[in-house]
Amino acid sequence: MYRFRFHGRGGQGIKTASRIFSTAAFLEGFYAQDFPMYGPERRGAPVAAYVRVSHEPIVIRGYINKPDVVVVGDETLLYDPVADPLRGFGGGVLFVNTPLNPNLSVDGEVVTLDLTGLALEHIGRSGAISAGVGAVACKIAGFSESSMVDAVVRELEEIGLPDELIEKNVVVAKESYRGVPSFDLDSLPSLSESDFLETDIVHVRLDEGEVGIATIANLGNSAVRKTGNWRILKPIVDYSKCTGCKICFAYCPDVSIHMGEDGKAHIDYDHCKGCLICSSVCPFKAITMVREVKVM
Amino acid sequence: MSRYRGVKDIPEEEYVAPGSALCAGCGAEIIARHMLKVLGRDTIMVNVPGCYAISTLFPYTAVKVPYVFAVFGSGAAVAQGIRDGLDILREKRGVNNDRVNYKVVVYVGDGAAYDIGFQSTSAAIHRNLDFYFVCYDNEAYGNTGFQLSGATPYASMTSTSPPLGDSVGNEYGKKDIFEIWRAHRAPYVATISVSHVTDMLNKFEKAKEFRGPKLFVALSICPTGWGASQEDTVRIARLAVETGMWPLKEAVYGEVKHTFIPRRLKPVEEYLKTQRRFRHLFKPVRRDEEISRIQREVEEYWRRVWEKELNR
Ligand code: SF4
Ligand code: SF4
Ligand code: SF4
Repeated sequence: MYRFRFHGRGGQGIKTASRIFSTAAFLEGFYAQDFPMYGPERRGAPVAAYVRVSHEPIVIRGYINKPDVVVVGDETLLYDPVADPLRGFGGGVLFVNTPLNPNLSVDGEVVTLDLTGLALEHIGRSGAISAGVGAVACKIAGFSESSMVDAVVRELEEIGLPDELIEKNVVVAKESYRGVPSFDLDSLPSLSESDFLETDIVHVRLDEGEVGIATIANLGNSAVRKTGNWRILKPIVDYSKCTGCKICFAYCPDVSIHMGEDGKAHIDYDHCKGCLICSSVCPFKAITMVREVKVM
Repeated sequence: MSRYRGVKDIPEEEYVAPGSALCAGCGAEIIARHMLKVLGRDTIMVNVPGCYAISTLFPYTAVKVPYVFAVFGSGAAVAQGIRDGLDILREKRGVNNDRVNYKVVVYVGDGAAYDIGFQSTSAAIHRNLDFYFVCYDNEAYGNTGFQLSGATPYASMTSTSPPLGDSVGNEYGKKDIFEIWRAHRAPYVATISVSHVTDMLNKFEKAKEFRGPKLFVALSICPTGWGASQEDTVRIARLAVETGMWPLKEAVYGEVKHTFIPRRLKPVEEYLKTQRRFRHLFKPVRRDEEISRIQREVEEYWRRVWEKELNR
């Protein structure tokens, strides 16, 4: 059995990518099982999807904690403590969608390709990477290009994409497929015996009440989570225009604006999610926006 | 006189931290921030399943005051347990410190206020529980994919009221939770909106004067479920008030007073058009009948208010 785990951000099409991959596996004559993680988080937040592929019927259920292949749709997730895409990974293949050439010290093969660039070039929307991600996974697994294309078309038709957009996605999918190498997964040392890590098993002691209650003692510790990497557009304060009226401060949902000692608005880019409410409420048009450039 | 006259008076202290998992541009976060700014550090928040619950995803929390997570229907019942526990410490055990005087606030979505938690809330009001109950009303079950709730307005599309064929989307009207609560004779009941921060701060401040249930329903813009642009959260909330669709008012022991009375109403269309959940009223064909039904109901409401409060 091969275990693939996909990571991305809500709204990026990671679930569709995993479906494309498992449909292609099915067309290649495998048994396949795929499911997304329905976590409580929101658009822009990390999401994951899991696919098991096997020549035998698959009886196991549940999350994949020891993946053979990890596919990361957004490079900013690599070291995100919540997404934690490298968890349980070792010895297999890691794919990262990135325009950069990262020197990653991981135990396993590393493959990269700029899927977002391809999507921008052919489809014109940075978020539309599901076909590319699915195609890359197909190639890594050694599936044929025709099964891959067939799967892309089926899945995109199912979510109701118009024909012309599907065609553009097929172009992206083919280029992505051709841009990465194939692996003989059976020869990789990683193939997991089990789907679970020892640390996943939590023994709850029922004899002491308090032990069974999840407690957070460090109030406000969500600040360690850098939601700044959710941003697509970045608000910028023009200090020649800011009068310090506090209106943006009043309406920022994410406590990411504070009034500095200079009496003006300052944005906390570690946490600002880029909703741009501040820009729309500023009566002096002092907040403009630029496209966010992500760095690893 | 009101304590807060403008945004300049907003307290600096923050009892909410950044880094929550809620959608960018979510109205529920703006309300929580200002609510806690007024209620202050000595507050215990009770939360139940709903969007704001993901402010706290173990092992992280964005809330900086003590916080308890309860089951969906039991927010007000858990508040009763906390209040009773603190009161017993003070009255029977003679403990006298800041903690026994903590305020208890239940902060829940419309699912837990209008539907699933309605029974426990009604019972707590009936028992005259000394607590705050604040509903961030995004008019559907936003946490699970935007299904119809008792708070969904007429003609809204939700994932369980799709406007297929002749259907108008939600064919039922929104429950009037303000009136339902008022009928319980609670000391203080108020509506608030994300857009009117000063009004919101003053209402939380005023509520502190009363012993017993203090109930708030806030229009909480939900860009994700409503199909609206994230940056428009405040603009949409303001339009809801200015079109008359979301009246700002309070009731002290049942006596209603509006805290903002528009002299002229903007057409409801201006509000409806900002959201994809009402798109079927305009495309592919304009559905005049439904739009004017919404307009008429709003006008009838305000005609009564103008008569009563402005003698006009
Ligand atoms: S709203 Fe505009 S002018 Fe006012 S403090 Fe913010 S950036 Fe400055
Ligand atoms: S873009 Fe949104 S989250 Fe960022 S500072 Fe402005 S209001 Fe706050
Ligand atoms: S679904 Fe709506 S209410 Fe829930 S977090 Fe997102 S914007 Fe807020």
